[in-house]
Amino acid sequence: MSERVLTINNLCVSYGDVDVVCGIDISMEAGDITCIVGESGSGKTTLLRAIHGLERTYINHGEVVFQNDVIASRDVSSGRKYMGRHIGLIPQNPGGSFNPLRPLEKQFKESYRAAGMDYDREELIRIFDKVGLSDGASILKSRPYEMSGGMNQRIAIAAAFALHPSLLLCDEPASALDVTTAGMVVDQLMELRREKNTAILMVTHHLGIARRMADHAGIMKNGRMVEYGDADLIFEDPKDEYTKKLMADIPKL
Amino acid sequence: MTGRITKRIAELLVLLIVLSILTFLLMYLAPGDPAQKRLSSQGVAVTKEMLDAERERMGLARPFFVRYGEWAWGVIRGDFGLSLKDDMPVAPKLREGLSNTIVLASASLILSLVFAIPLGILSAVKKNSIFDHTVRILSFIGNSLPNFLISVILMYFFCIWLDLFPIIASGSIQGLFLPALSLAIPMCARFTRQIRAEIQKELERDYVTGLRARGVKESDVLIKNVLYNCMGHIFTIIALQIGTLMGGSVVIETIFRWPGIGKLVMDSITARDYPVIMGFVLIMGTIYVAVNLLSDIICQVIDPRVENE
Amino acid sequence: MSREKQRLKKKMIFAAVCAAILVIIAVFSGVIAPNDPYATNATLIRKPPSAEFIFGTDNMGRCVFSRVLIGARTTIAATFFLVAISFVIGTLIGMLCGYYGGVVDDILMRFADLMLAFPQMVVAIAVAGMLGGGLFGALLALGVTAWTSFARLARSHTLSIKNEPYITVARLSGKKGAYIILHHILPNIVEPVLVNALTQIGTTMIGISGLSFLGLGVVAPQAEWGSMISEGRAYIQIAPWTVLFPAAATVITIIVFNYLGDVVMEYKNE
Repeated sequence: MSERVLTINNLCVSYGDVDVVCGIDISMEAGDITCIVGESGSGKTTLLRAIHGLERTYINHGEVVFQNDVIASRDVSSGRKYMGRHIGLIPQNPGGSFNPLRPLEKQFKESYRAAGMDYDREELIRIFDKVGLSDGASILKSRPYEMSGGMNQRIAIAAAFALHPSLLLCDEPASALDVTTAGMVVDQLMELRREKNTAILMVTHHLGIARRMADHAGIMKNGRMVEYGDADLIFEDPKDEYTKKLMADIPKL
Repeated sequence: MTGRITKRIAELLVLLIVLSILTFLLMYLAPGDPAQKRLSSQGVAVTKEMLDAERERMGLARPFFVRYGEWAWGVIRGDFGLSLKDDMPVAPKLREGLSNTIVLASASLILSLVFAIPLGILSAVKKNSIFDHTVRILSFIGNSLPNFLISVILMYFFCIWLDLFPIIASGSIQGLFLPALSLAIPMCARFTRQIRAEIQKELERDYVTGLRARGVKESDVLIKNVLYNCMGHIFTIIALQIGTLMGGSVVIETIFRWPGIGKLVMDSITARDYPVIMGFVLIMGTIYVAVNLLSDIICQVIDPRVENE
Repeated sequence: MSREKQRLKKKMIFAAVCAAILVIIAVFSGVIAPNDPYATNATLIRKPPSAEFIFGTDNMGRCVFSRVLIGARTTIAATFFLVAISFVIGTLIGMLCGYYGGVVDDILMRFADLMLAFPQMVVAIAVAGMLGGGLFGALLALGVTAWTSFARLARSHTLSIKNEPYITVARLSGKKGAYIILHHILPNIVEPVLVNALTQIGTTMIGISGLSFLGLGVVAPQAEWGSMISEGRAYIQIAPWTVLFPAAATVITIIVFNYLGDVVMEYKNE
């Protein structure tokens, strides 16, 4: 049995008096790819926020356990301490995840240091090359505002690679991307898992991507998990009515 | 970028020429006869003949642009003309006053920034906390206080109640404190408000989440990134406040008798000593325009995207 | 969001009521004032606050309370007058520039830039100084620069709507420029410009009382807060009430109007 990375037990998250997300159970091992599928407003982004704790959320029930530590519960909100070093995040708009006005090399050094790693320029340039950025050396000298949106997105993916966290959270990373880049992102994420055995938790409304990547899948609706389990089972033989309806119009990627 | 700056410097020169013409025009149109003024300040009975002779000597009958040209040429060489009050050259008085004013203005600027920058940042970071509300209320009140009023209150409190400071500043270090504080309080309030708004706007940008997601230390997020990105705007805010500071220093210098250019100009207004007033407007205008150009350049260096409309 | 808006609305009503009370006090100050604000009395010099003179008396035995009340009228009326005039002139210029464009626009906007390029108080002090004091001089001195913010705002809003279909239709149906400006543009841009007027009240008040304090505004013996503070300053040690009450009145009034401007601005941006 391989190492347990993330466990979510009966989690309820609220804004004010309203429960936005309730009764969520997820369990992930190293190298596992779990996709949470849901329409916008289903609470999947809130779920991610509860894990990383970068924006304020109120957990009134349940807990999030990373490896052996409770990182989020009613009384604990320490997800931030794990960000970078152990947990990575590819946000909804990955192109905006670096400060547009500072040279990238400085920012990468900062991020390596934050992750407790030594800055390795050669390695970074190799990773750039892998995500389709050929002139790594000059990219490191530039500032993000000087580059196209697509390049910035690839750089953000490269960062997730370079810092190789044990758990990578992805918030609809493909929604802002064109089809080619989205395909590239999916390939890269799969490779990241293959090479570094990274666990990936992705939320998306894109069934096609989920189907292509996921080992485990969850379907969210109105803040509840209507179905959760082995991805093949869910996609091939959905039990829930809502899931069945969703399956009827899977776009092909 | 250099092209843009050259263009701005050219604009600045045009601006200064227009300013000098307007200043001269103001004096030209002002009521009262400079020749009369000059003669009566010498304390002799003025006769019609003396007046005509003096007018002739001062060249008052010549056309506007000839007189302007003469004055402007003098100003370029650092000669601001002779005082109507005592016939002494105006330039040394202006220079001495200006250096005292710069001491006072810098002191109050530093004093207000030392408080405003950390308060503005913390207040933006801890948005809607008790700390934020307190800072917002205080800065709102500070912004609503005219500085003459602050100075009167401070004087009453420190000089009369506590008897800590001399009432009259007259250029000493000890005397610098109250006038600088009077200028700094409302300015600090305005800076805090504006810096808070800038930082808050910047904190909502995507890259901040990106940095935090990579585990970058919060102090690095705030100082090396957010504050750095806001620096250009903060310089603009400061440059714009310099104008208010100049007006304020006239009031404060008069109250505390600080021997700056503001007190000089108030004395000259009472005495209708026009060359001093003209020199004052021109010097203040030049400094203000130059400071704003400087902040423009800093903005450009920090954020080269700002190509402006 | 809407809860926030409700909250701001309550704040706005509160601020507006406070401002209205101040304006009413100013308007009826002549009726409310218990004593003649200009009656001097050598036997009542610098009396501390009492039942008869609740704010005490000043250096000439005048009733400070009555003077503060009458001063409210001077300060508030002068401020409103200046803001209103700048509003009308600035908005008109801004709309003309925005609607017609061309050389007039270039010249007027260059001029506005020029006015903005110099520190307002420095210009005001110099102009008021040259004009030799008096309330009119002070208003003119502040007005030289005050119209520009209205003009810029009105112009940019005019530019943003001047190609809207309803204006094109009006133009094609042969309506005159003046008609279009008054009937179509003005009603659509007036709101943001009015909000700007509201936010200018506080600063204008500070400017007017500042000039009066320097002796460049209201001339003695007319009651005005800035000049009362300036007068009282000389004997603040023995009669602090001569400074305290006009100072409090100034602060409260400026705070109320600044607050009103702030909340309205926030409400609009919400």
